[in-house]
Parts: sequence; C-alpha cells; structure tokens
Amino acid sequence: MLLSVRDLVVRFRTHDGTVNAVNGVSFDLDEGETLGLVGESGCGKSVTNLAIMHLLPKPAGRIEGGQVLFEGVDLTTLSESDIRLIRGSEIAMIFQDPMTSLNPVLTIEEQLVETIRAHRKVSPADARTRAIELLGMVGIPEPASRLKSYPHQFSGGMRQRVMIAIGLALEPKLLIADEPTTALDVTIQAQMLELLQRLTNEQGTAVILITHDLGVVAGMTRRINVMYAGFVVEAATTVDLFAAPRHPYTVGLLHSIPRLDAAADEPLIPIEGVPPDLRVAPVGCAFAPRCAWRLARCWTETPPLSPLEPGTIVKTTGPEATHRIACWNPATAEEAVAGAPIRPGFVPAPAPDGKVDVVEEPGLPAVAVPAGPSHEDGA
Amino acid sequence: MTAGTAPVVIRAAPRASRGLWRDAFRRLLRNGPAVLGLVFILIFVVGAVLAPLIAPYDPAFGNLSLSKQGPTAAHLFGTDLLGRDELSRVLYGARISLIVGVVAVLFGLVFGVTVGAVAGGLGGKVDTVLMRVTDVLLAIPGILLAIGIVAWLGHGQIQIMLAVGISYAPIFARLLRGSLLALREADFVTAARSEGATPVRILLRHLMPNALTPLIVQATLAMATAIIDVAGLGFLGLGPGDPRVAEWGEMLTDSARFLQNAPYLILFPGAAIVISAIGFNLLGDGLREAIDPRLKR
Amino acid sequence: MTAMEQPVEQPLSVATPPVPEQVLEVTGLKVYFPITDGIVIERHVGDIKAVDGVSLTIERGTTLGLVGESGCGKSTLGRAILRLYQPTAGKIVFDGQDVTSLGGGALRAMRRRMQMIFQDPYASLNPRMTAGGIVGEPLDIHHIGTKTERRQRIEDLFQIVGLDPAFAERYPHEFSGGQRQRIGVARALAVNPDLIVADEPISALDVSIQAQIINLLERLQGQFNLTYLFIAHDLSVVRHISDRIAVMYLGRIVELASSKGLNTEPLHPYSVALLSAIPIPDPAIESKRRRIILRGDVPSPAAPPAGCRFNTRCWLKERLGNPARCTEEDPQLRELAPGHTVACHFAEEVAGSAEQRQVTGRPAPAAVPGSLPV
Repeated sequence: MLLSVRDLVVRFRTHDGTVNAVNGVSFDLDEGETLGLVGESGCGKSVTNLAIMHLLPKPAGRIEGGQVLFEGVDLTTLSESDIRLIRGSEIAMIFQDPMTSLNPVLTIEEQLVETIRAHRKVSPADARTRAIELLGMVGIPEPASRLKSYPHQFSGGMRQRVMIAIGLALEPKLLIADEPTTALDVTIQAQMLELLQRLTNEQGTAVILITHDLGVVAGMTRRINVMYAGFVVEAATTVDLFAAPRHPYTVGLLHSIPRLDAAADEPLIPIEGVPPDLRVAPVGCAFAPRCAWRLARCWTETPPLSPLEPGTIVKTTGPEATHRIACWNPATAEEAVAGAPIRPGFVPAPAPDGKVDVVEEPGLPAVAVPAGPSHEDGA
Repeated sequence: MTAGTAPVVIRAAPRASRGLWRDAFRRLLRNGPAVLGLVFILIFVVGAVLAPLIAPYDPAFGNLSLSKQGPTAAHLFGTDLLGRDELSRVLYGARISLIVGVVAVLFGLVFGVTVGAVAGGLGGKVDTVLMRVTDVLLAIPGILLAIGIVAWLGHGQIQIMLAVGISYAPIFARLLRGSLLALREADFVTAARSEGATPVRILLRHLMPNALTPLIVQATLAMATAIIDVAGLGFLGLGPGDPRVAEWGEMLTDSARFLQNAPYLILFPGAAIVISAIGFNLLGDGLREAIDPRLKR
Repeated sequence: MTAMEQPVEQPLSVATPPVPEQVLEVTGLKVYFPITDGIVIERHVGDIKAVDGVSLTIERGTTLGLVGESGCGKSTLGRAILRLYQPTAGKIVFDGQDVTSLGGGALRAMRRRMQMIFQDPYASLNPRMTAGGIVGEPLDIHHIGTKTERRQRIEDLFQIVGLDPAFAERYPHEFSGGQRQRIGVARALAVNPDLIVADEPISALDVSIQAQIINLLERLQGQFNLTYLFIAHDLSVVRHISDRIAVMYLGRIVELASSKGLNTEPLHPYSVALLSAIPIPDPAIESKRRRIILRGDVPSPAAPPAGCRFNTRCWLKERLGNPARCTEEDPQLRELAPGHTVACHFAEEVAGSAEQRQVTGRPAPAAVPGSLPV
C-alpha cells in the first residue's frame, strides 16, 4: 500500500471560529492506482491533500488528528526539511490555476531546472536536457525554443501542461491533481486528461484526482471517494459508484447534473438547501438537513463509513474494493434510479428541536415542513 | 412533501447584520491594536475638549519664578521657560493639533474627492488634465507645499488647515480616481447600466459608496501625518503665530535648546505628538480590516 | 399570489400595434475592440474581432442557448445585444424596434425591457446595498409604482425566487452564492422584461446549487413567458434549458439548430468535437469512448485564421486531405435542414460520419447518404 490516510482531522483556527475542514477521513491507495476525490466546495477534498503535503496555511490550518502513512512513514510527524525531500520527488501536486502556481517572473526553464536540481544531483546542462525532454513529453511544440518563455506567454492549456511536466519531472510515486482542468475549456480539458492518463500509466504513478466533475472521474479513475462537509460519505470502485450509488448525496448529485447521454428534457432534481457551515461542530450526519432519506438518528449520530452488507471483509483498494457508505438509511437500487425515496409513506424525519420552515410555492397553499437545525450559511 | 419537488424558501444567515457600519464597528472592537489606537485618540480628544475644566493652570500665563522646573506634584509635567504649566499647555495644545489636523484632512478630502470624482467620473480629457495637475502637486513634498501655502497666506489656524489640507488633496484625488476606475468594470456597475441607470446615479449610488471606504482608511492615516505636519509647521515658526496659544510644535521650538537641562519640556509635547499620531495609525489600520465587508467567506 | 401570474404591463413608449413574435433579431452584428499603439499619439493598429458578423433571432417565450469556449465572443455578443458595448456594425431589432443606435433617454427606457443575469454572484451585487434595495432598484430607476407598491413587489419577487422576504434588509455578503444568484434573478425580473440575457448564470456555483437555479429559471420562464438568451460554456446545461442552440467559435456562429437537432445531428466539425470532449458520468461509456482531441489552442481573436476560422484545428479538414477551400474561402451559414444552419464547406461529410456517430450514439446507417434527417 502506497498511501494510507487514517482518521485525518484538520481544523482551521480563525477569528470567526474554528472551521472543521476534515472530520476523520480515511482512505488507502495502492501503487499505480487512480483515486478520485469528488465533492463540492467546502467538502474538504483539497484540504485533505494539502494536509498530506504539509501545505496547509499556517498558523491557522492544523492537523489535529490521524495519520498519513506514505510507504510506511507517517508524514504528519515529519519535520519541514524532511517533508521537503518528499515533496516533488516522491509526491507531486498540480493545482487548478497554473497562472498562480507558476512563478510569473521565472522562465519555464528556471522553474523546471529548479525542481529537478532540488532533488537530484545533476549538472545544469543535464537538467536542461531533461527539461526539454519533459516539455516534449507533455506535448509542447518546439520545446527547446520555449524554455526561455515566461508563463504569461503560454496559453492556459500550455501552462497546465508545464505544470504536469514539473509535477512528473522526478517520476514521483504519487501525483495529487487538485482540480487540474476546472479552469480550462472543455476541448482543452479533453487534451489534458488524455495526457495525464497516458503519462501516469506510462510511469506507473498513483494519482489522487480531486474534482467536482463526475464526468471527469468517470473516465479517469478506478475508485472514487465522495466527500461532503469533511467526511467521506461513499467509497466505491468507479464502476460500482455509477452503477449503484447508495448514499443520498451521491444519488442527489447524479440526478442534479444535466447529462449528454440522457434526454435533454430529463428533469433535474436539485439537492435543496445549502452546504453546512463548517464552523459549527458536526452533530449527527452532516448531510441530514438536506437529505430526503433522513431518519431520526441521522440528526444525532454520525454514521461511520461501513460496507453495504454488514460484516463484509473490507478491501480498501484495488478493483475489488468494498463499496462503503456512511449512512443510516441508504437509497435502494430503485430509489437511486428515481432520485427520491419512493418507499410508500416515507417522510424525512423532522429535526429534534422541532423547528419548522414554511415552504411556499406561488399559487399553492403554504405547507409546513421540518426545518434543518439552525445553521448558518457556508457556501 | 419530498425534497426536490417544491421550491424551499431558503433562509439566510441568522447572524443578522445591523447595518454595515455597525458590523464594521463590531469588527473594529475585536482588533486589539485598533482599540488601543482608539483609546489613545480618545485620551487626547477628551483632554482637548475638557481642557478648560481640567487644566490646572492657565496655559498662556506663567509664574516666572517657577520657570524650568521639573515635574512636581504641583506641576505634573513641569513648567516651561516662562513658568507656564506644561500639562495645561499640552492639554490646550491638543485642541490645536487635533482640530487643525482633523479639519485639514477634511479640507483635503473635500478638494481631493471632488477632483477625483470629476476625473474618474468624466474620464477622457478632463481626467488627463486633472491628473497631470495632480501629478505636479504630488511632485512637491507635502510639507514644502504646506510651507509655501502658509508663507503665501500668512499665519493663523485657518491658513494652516488649508495648507495641510491642500497638500493632501492630490493623494486623495488619485486614490479616489483609481478606485472609481477599478469599480467601473465591476459587474454590479454593469448591472446598473443594464437597468438603465443614468451616469449620475451610477456615480452616486454605486461607485462613490464603494470607492469612499478605502478613502476613509486613508484619511484616518492622514490625520496622523497631519498632526505631525501641523506640529512641524509650528516648529518651523509657521504656526498660529500667537505666542500665547499653546501648540505642540511651537512648544518644541521653544524648548529645543533646553534639551540638556530640561528634557521634560521636549518629552511631553513630543510624546503627545507621537502618541496621538500612533493612535490614528493604529485606528486606520484597524479600520482597513474592519470596513471591508468581506465579500467572500 | 395570482397577481404574480399576470405580469404588470407597462405601455410601450413606441407605438407598435401587433406584438411581434420575434423578441430579438440580430443581423450581421460586429463588435470590434481597437488595439492601439503609441504613447503620445495613439495609432489604431488592429482590432480584436470579438464578434465578427453574427445573425440570430429569438422567438418570444423560448430560450436560445449560446455556447462556446473562452474567446469565442459569446459574452461580448450578449452584452452588445443589451447595448452595453457599442456595436461596430450590424443591426439589433428588439421587439420590432431598431435599437442599434439608440442613445440617451430612449436607450434607458428600452433597458427596462431587457435585463441581464451575471455570472459572478459575488461581484454582480453592490456590496453596500441591501438585497431589497438591489432588487428594487430597477423599479426606482424607471419610476414604477408607489413606495408601498414597490415594497410589495420586492417582497413578491423574493418569494418568486425562493428567498425569505424577511431578509430584504440583509447585505449581499450575508447570503450564499446560490442565494445571491437568486437575488440577481429577482432583480432581472423586477420590471417584467421581455428578454433576459443570462451570462453564465450558474458557472460560479456549486454543482448541487446549479440545478436549483436551472429549475428556477425554467419555472419562471413557464410562469411569465420569459425569453432567454442563455450563454454558457457547458453544452450539457445549455442543451437542457434551450429550445435552440447557437454554437460560437472565434466571433462567429458556426452552427444554429434546435436543441434536439444539435444532439441528434451535429453538422459542424467543431460541434462534434465539443460534444466529444464533454465527459459523461458513466464509466462504461467513458471507457469505450474515442475522443476527438483537437490539436492546438484557440487562435487569437485579433488575428483569425484565413478562410474558415476553424481550419487550424479541424479534424474533418485533416481527414479530407486538407482541401484548399478551407484556407481560402470563409464559409457562410447555410441551411442544411429546416431550421438547421451550418457554416462549413463540408458539413455534408459530417453527416453519418463515424465521428458524428460517436457523439450521438447512433448506429451506422445502412441507408442512402444525402438525405439528412432533422
């Protein structure tokens, strides 16, 4: 097992309160595997990976629990100088916006060579040759002449290619790609994903692909973890996740996006409500206020990530990985297809303090339905 | 009613705002250094306002027999060359410094905002001409400009206020114009245009309220400099001109030669200048953080 | 609540007796931004041809989707239609009236009837105005209603978009992104516009909130017979909400068809490539897909390629052995099927091709080529 994250807890201490960004996240990764971390803004997917690399903004961000075992070594215990040896050469990271991740006042050559020579004892000439090789590998035309260019002289797609080149320069064992294509046009995105997949396959690099785009993970990953409000709510192989989603959030997500392979007028079923305020310590299931499947215990007990069939031996990696969810009342197969709980007579459990929201649709009589717990805006 | 079929009335944050300024004030109070600055300023403001009531002696007249005495129980800050009580002089001096400083900055704001708004609002040739004039004024060091204006207009409180104010006007004009130019591209301004708002309405309702807030921070910081500038003018002999009036800068001039044997004569007015200037500085920095409504959480 | 079913009708300032079915008709619209050089004397050295000859129409009560990638000019087009940019050439006829060179008071009066929803829910609301003030501003600008009537209208608008009217006194920073976007929608609706231009209204929102806003816009269209110009880069969303779709590339419309038509029979190589590039949330489909990967980057709008603008990246041109016509002649939009126009010399080759079948999922035809199903 290449990477094992166990019960990771990350909090940010700010003026406005403590933000519970990651609340006990665990996952494993084998060599050469591609894992997708899917979720919306605020779910903790990026923070988890920044934590792995010790890149949390200090002093606010802190790992307050759990371990990150990389090839057996707990990264959370390493000093800054030790982790620097690992960053870039063993674990590399590429980010969403190449304009801000590339230093605008250094040429591409300088940035590539800097990375290479920071970890390998090579002469500047050898490093330069390697840099040209890398640029060619990522598909930049006439790489030798473009070495002296500055980031702003490249287009967005080209810059992202340079990022990939820097990331893969030292053939790391693990590449963390944080929303690598979100800022790109869809035709450029297609180029980028194809490149990323090809190169990581060739080098046998394990990849953690962080994104909110379910289409991207469908094509790029072997396993997916769905995250919400700092928890992993569903973990499965990609095939299983799309064929048989069980967590109400995953089901909701799949039904709220328009898809090219569905009828154009297929109605979208949005997930009502807003994401929770992470400054409020989680009580019960974080998704309960928005969940159409919620039971009374969902408000008070946080469900652990466990296999669909209780008692199954859990395999955390590989093509046979166990399908796990964190839910007291998962959707059935028919409900997953329908996008709503269709059991006769099922009503989502009201909040324990009995507060009520008034739901009004113009033209129809007002109806009182249970409200979520008083939470503040988070989005 | 299953979630997802009827539109849910979505509630906003229960932590209600009671107005943008009240929120800013609350944020300000949470900022330690800013509160300290506020305290410093308040000390002087209270001292200045209540000077007639709390000053133990008349600042204008002194008992020559008590000249140049160090701090004693009777005269907490000592006495100056003419036997006048330093404490009373510092308190009355606060009036000049603070009033002149504040009014000077206000003058500067009025001039600067007008020029900046016209330049930023009209653009084009008007903008170019106004900005070149501003550039010329900015090229002259502030204090020299103030000295020049006082030399031209003569002694007196109003003259000092005008001089210092005019020396700040170019900075405020530039700042405001810059803010206006940046804001013009903002989506909410485009939205106002697309709704059919007249340019005047856009300027007054949308541009100015947003452009003025950074200016408030700058103005507060400018008051710190104004206090020092006013004291500087006084030190150079360009102060109010009335020897009976206590003014911190003039007090420094009078006492400069006594640095060796009566350092308290410099210490107290000097400390007053420094502390009040620091106060405005800290407040200004705190305001900068407090005023921004923090668009993104 | 029934008052809301009937939009308050304001009399038109210009007398046009029968209400035209076409809310918008744009002909040959060009928007060029001059590039200047020189410090003291500015020389006009070139133009960024953001919109370079666009014609389209929108029928009342329908949605025209405008889709394309960055730099294609769709946002510029949307804003030019609202006269937020000055057209360099061409004609804009709005509800039967030529508004291309309207100015001053007449333009401001016309603004009442076309409104915009913006992309960035954070930047499109004045941070120093209350939500109620923002929504009610159009009423104020156009002097509609008394103070009480306006307050009622604001309250109604809040309800319509799904916000609690009690929060009209709050400031934008106290709302979430999705809620701010609702405020933007309420503002656009305030004066009962005939046309709403939605410029990427959901791109900046979280996925689970996007669906809420899409549904809201659809519901409002049904309720108030609104006409939308929906601009977005995400073809899946555009396809869902639009009746007709215009695909833009480098300042021109390259294909214009019904939403269904574009899906079942995309005829421009760029449209096909676009459909091919969009990832589908289904691993079974994704693993079997053979994407059309376009080479290179989008050319600069300041220097569009000679001949067909797409020729530098076109897969069809390559497949056909680089015909000279692609680099020499600029293709015009021509109708290949009722209501389906394409700007490509070789669009007929796309029909029935393997690439088109890949994106539409239809099996290879055994029938005679030449007859195009709609």
